[in-house]
Amino acid sequence: MLLSFLLPVVALFIPLSLAVFADDAYHVDFHNALLGIPSSRTTFFHQPFQGSKASLIYTIGDKSVLGAVNPKDGAIVWRQPLAEPSNVTDAFLSVGQGQDTVVSGIRNSVAAWGAGDGKLVWRKSFEGAGPIKDLEVLELAESDTEKEKDSLVVFGGATPVVRRLNGKTGAVVWEHEDNSGDEPFQIAASSTGIFYITLHTSMLGGLKIRITSLDVLKGTKLDQYTLNSDSELPSAQSILFVGANSASPVLCWTDKHHKVLKVNIIGTRPVSSFNLDNANGEDIEKIIVHAPRQINSVPHFLVHYQTPLSHWAEVYHVDLKTSSVAKAYSLPKLVGNGAFSTSTSGVNVYFTRFTREELLVVSSVSHGVLGRFAIKDFTIPGLLDDPRPVHAISEVVLRSGAAHAVRCAVLFSSGDWVLLRNSEISWTRPESLSGITTAVWAELPDTQDLAYQLDIEGHQNVLTAYVHRVRRHIKDFEHLPTWIQNLPARITRNFLGDNEKRPSAELQRDSFGFRKLVIIATDNGRIAALDVGSSGRTVWSVEIVGQELGSRWAAPQLEADPQGFVTVRYGVRHLLLNTTTGVFLSESDPPPVEIKQAPGNSAAITYELIEGEVRGFFGGDATPIWKFLPAIGEHIINIVSRPVDDPVASIGKVLGDRSVLYKYLNPNIALVTAINQGARSTSVYILDTISGNVIFSNTHEGIDTSQDIAAAISENWFTYSYTIDTASHIPSSRGFALVVGELYESSLPNDRGPLSTGSNASSIEPLPAGDALKPHVLTQTYHIPERISHMAVTHTRQGITSRQLLATLPGSNSIVGIPKQVIDPRRPVGRDATAQESSEGLTKYLPYIDFDPKWYLNHKRELLGIENVITSPSLLESTSLVFAYGIDVFGTRVSPSFSFDILGKGFNKIQMVSTVAALAIGVLFVAPLVKRKQINAQWQIS
Amino acid sequence: MRLPIATAAAFLAFLSSSSAIQLSVLINPSALLPNPSVLPASTHASLHSSGPEIDVPLTRQNTFEFDNLTAGSYLLTVYSRDFIFEPLRVDVAGEPGKETVGVWQTFRGNEWDNKGEKRGEGRAGTGAPIVTEVRVVAPKEFYQERGGFNLLGFLKSPMILMALFSMAMIFGMPYLMENMDPETKAEFEEMQKASPLASANNPAAQLQNFDLASWMAGKTSGADKQQSSSSSRRKASN
Repeated sequence: MLLSFLLPVVALFIPLSLAVFADDAYHVDFHNALLGIPSSRTTFFHQPFQGSKASLIYTIGDKSVLGAVNPKDGAIVWRQPLAEPSNVTDAFLSVGQGQDTVVSGIRNSVAAWGAGDGKLVWRKSFEGAGPIKDLEVLELAESDTEKEKDSLVVFGGATPVVRRLNGKTGAVVWEHEDNSGDEPFQIAASSTGIFYITLHTSMLGGLKIRITSLDVLKGTKLDQYTLNSDSELPSAQSILFVGANSASPVLCWTDKHHKVLKVNIIGTRPVSSFNLDNANGEDIEKIIVHAPRQINSVPHFLVHYQTPLSHWAEVYHVDLKTSSVAKAYSLPKLVGNGAFSTSTSGVNVYFTRFTREELLVVSSVSHGVLGRFAIKDFTIPGLLDDPRPVHAISEVVLRSGAAHAVRCAVLFSSGDWVLLRNSEISWTRPESLSGITTAVWAELPDTQDLAYQLDIEGHQNVLTAYVHRVRRHIKDFEHLPTWIQNLPARITRNFLGDNEKRPSAELQRDSFGFRKLVIIATDNGRIAALDVGSSGRTVWSVEIVGQELGSRWAAPQLEADPQGFVTVRYGVRHLLLNTTTGVFLSESDPPPVEIKQAPGNSAAITYELIEGEVRGFFGGDATPIWKFLPAIGEHIINIVSRPVDDPVASIGKVLGDRSVLYKYLNPNIALVTAINQGARSTSVYILDTISGNVIFSNTHEGIDTSQDIAAAISENWFTYSYTIDTASHIPSSRGFALVVGELYESSLPNDRGPLSTGSNASSIEPLPAGDALKPHVLTQTYHIPERISHMAVTHTRQGITSRQLLATLPGSNSIVGIPKQVIDPRRPVGRDATAQESSEGLTKYLPYIDFDPKWYLNHKRELLGIENVITSPSLLESTSLVFAYGIDVFGTRVSPSFSFDILGKGFNKIQMVSTVAALAIGVLFVAPLVKRKQINAQWQIS
Repeated sequence: MRLPIATAAAFLAFLSSSSAIQLSVLINPSALLPNPSVLPASTHASLHSSGPEIDVPLTRQNTFEFDNLTAGSYLLTVYSRDFIFEPLRVDVAGEPGKETVGVWQTFRGNEWDNKGEKRGEGRAGTGAPIVTEVRVVAPKEFYQERGGFNLLGFLKSPMILMALFSMAMIFGMPYLMENMDPETKAEFEEMQKASPLASANNPAAQLQNFDLASWMAGKTSGADKQQSSSSSRRKASN
């Protein structure tokens, strides 16, 4: 009786909210806020407001995320995703001199953002317009009267349109329709006018450049002429540069074989031609033109030539009076790859040359070196290969005619973005991590080593095993001197409250198993290992496929073997890499591989989604042994199965009256989600993947099928979420819903249903009559405040710890850990929980679950575009490791039932020692008193 | 620095050029959020009815601007890193060009028809956007404080107060008794003898005469008495 009273009281003391501790935040978790690989056209330094001392780097990466980066430390100042991560396209970014807004364009929408705070100033979407082809902020003398500068936007589509948008409101000032049928290419504005450049396909298949001059105020056509370029110009890729917003915009192109460079000053007809002398006879791979973006700077530009082995550059000057272009000087040929960038200061233009050895600053006027900064030990963390620089931007500070300081942000082909400040690397942003396609956990091999040794001992006879063990212990003595040496330091560190263990540089497992690697594949063709135990540091990174910028490497199959190697499968290729070093292990020398059989021989039957139906195959057979087709009109969108390694501590659930409800624990179950777009409904089916039988199904109507339907299955429970369609009239409520269900062997406690009689169970013939065994399923639906895009479940070593549902919320850029006991489908409906029920931790069912901010794993961090969350057990039962990726990368560890097996940071060792000391002193004082009393009791007559 | 609503509305009216429905959702300063400009740039709002959400970021004027709304019954959700906002229901009904718009409070987990306070209404074709307001419900508290040792809190707890009181009684009472004048003392002792509480078998009395030192030495006061009686017997036999 007392127990039944006490249990609910005890339950009350267990708080349901499991938050991140304030002192753990930013220590146990790590986050890489990423932008995607920045593109050269949309990356620049800019001062966020006029008169600002510091400038920020603005960029749009290949994931269509617009962001501002602080050049000091590489931190994100603000970010705005312009498109859904699954749906990225070309984006444009432009900024006016001295403006406090940056203007972005993507698809048919143009937006201006506050440069300092990233808030929206205006946004205009042009319904029915084609995708944006170019975007420029108009730098004209006449617009100086107005503070906000207007923008020029070229829209493609069937009839391309040029629009001038008001800089303050985004309203259309004028528009110019182009009915010529030419392909719109770019817009260029100079101090004299606006030039709209199109490409006209000639009869011979070449391209002709047609330039239309537009009236600045009205947008009417003033003049049009065509440059005779069809003999050289096979495709738009050969156009190297169209200068915009400079005192004299130039148009540069080259022929297919990079033999000649043609330059036209936009607004004039003559074309200057320069033969490219290439003394070595090497093929020029790439020509890049660098020109200043400022309207008041001198009309000088630099042409960068790159061959497989070397690179050099030539600087050209434009004479505005005679409208001629002349070569001024050239920068010497250097071996290897380099990158050039321009920067301006007043009217002067400076070029910065980056090579592995140095940063070199020259003026555009003469080849005299203004500054030379030798780069000390240039290394990008973790990189095993030597990537080439792709593009660079720079900012130069001049003092008395010499370059005093230079900042140069260089993007490498590995996707690493590095900022060099004079001779040193200030920061590195691993932007390639924004394109993770696959990730797997890998154990550090040390952990496996002991297990392996113990395994040997377990399989030997007693004597040899004993000898082996003694030898192992003697070998362990090697570590004793260092251990003793480190002891004083460790003790003092512990007492100073500095509990945090600094992860050593070398990969060593820690005693709690928090340190693990995540092997990832990125869409730019790389495989890398991240050390989750030390802030997601890149341990190694290696290029597998040489990927052109802009194309994506399809997700390979990754498998981490506990023996210390990673298998990478893509296409027909098959690679083995060392887990800790990333070194390629050739197939001729494979490490000892033991083929492990999955428990229960379940690997014998595989299933996959083919032609809209799920088919199960036995072994390697080509003919399926079962097929599953959803109801007519539905198509399958997702299949989730129980994790292969899903330990369950208890086969039953103990109820308040000490009876047991047995869990339906079938290792071979999968949850299939299907949608019917016409009927706006969704169905979920739980399949037994051995027999193909449907053991549970449920249909919901009035569902928005265009939104995410996330699902997860673990232990004996499953959950999924959907968005209610407000346009349909079936449900009486709106918003987002989460359904959770639990499978039990029987609805009655202490009953195992049909399984109780047999000692063996079979999926194919569970009952003698051949009927399918249907578990007892309890479900409950809750309203939730936000859409869930992905679900995962925490994973601990033994499965004793209660589980948390990790739900990714794309709306608030977060991951929440919903405790399983909150979404228990046994919560009593319509009445308060009885004493017995509350002793199980059940509370009255409420139709709405609010996501307590304390459940947010990411606390104040904002996780952009998370696509997948993976979990792994640590050596501690209480703790599960979590790794999330998408655009951002996030890692943390969670303790769903508190960290009951480890002392937290709140444990005050000084307090403990002083308590013991105080007790000891107390005993010292009391002992004589007691002794005297005892003696008195013996001798005195009371 | 912030614009009054009227100015903002006038400014927004200037923005609108077409007759399509525009909805402007304001965040006004409140006790919880005195300066809405501190909201991060990632704050955004979405309208959902059917199909893809209409998602807009926060503007410099601390508003959310929705353009070209079509007929439907929408759920408005505001997402912010630092604050929880109330959900709103936005209804757009009527023929194109003559739509009426209503904005109400709504309650999650309740029937959709269960509308709360009206937050704004308007009709299309006036040229001005429909202005409404969304309110902050609560700030987001992410962190859990560790239960550290707090001396004041420790002393405030009733258990400790009770212990301190009884300590004061145990040590203070004999002192008080000693300082009483003999007559009152005799009277008091008389009273105590008369009361049933005074008997030696009373557990309360035993508790009051609790011998801490001997208890720590592993002896109960009862055993102590027995022992002392046995020792006296021993002496007697001697």
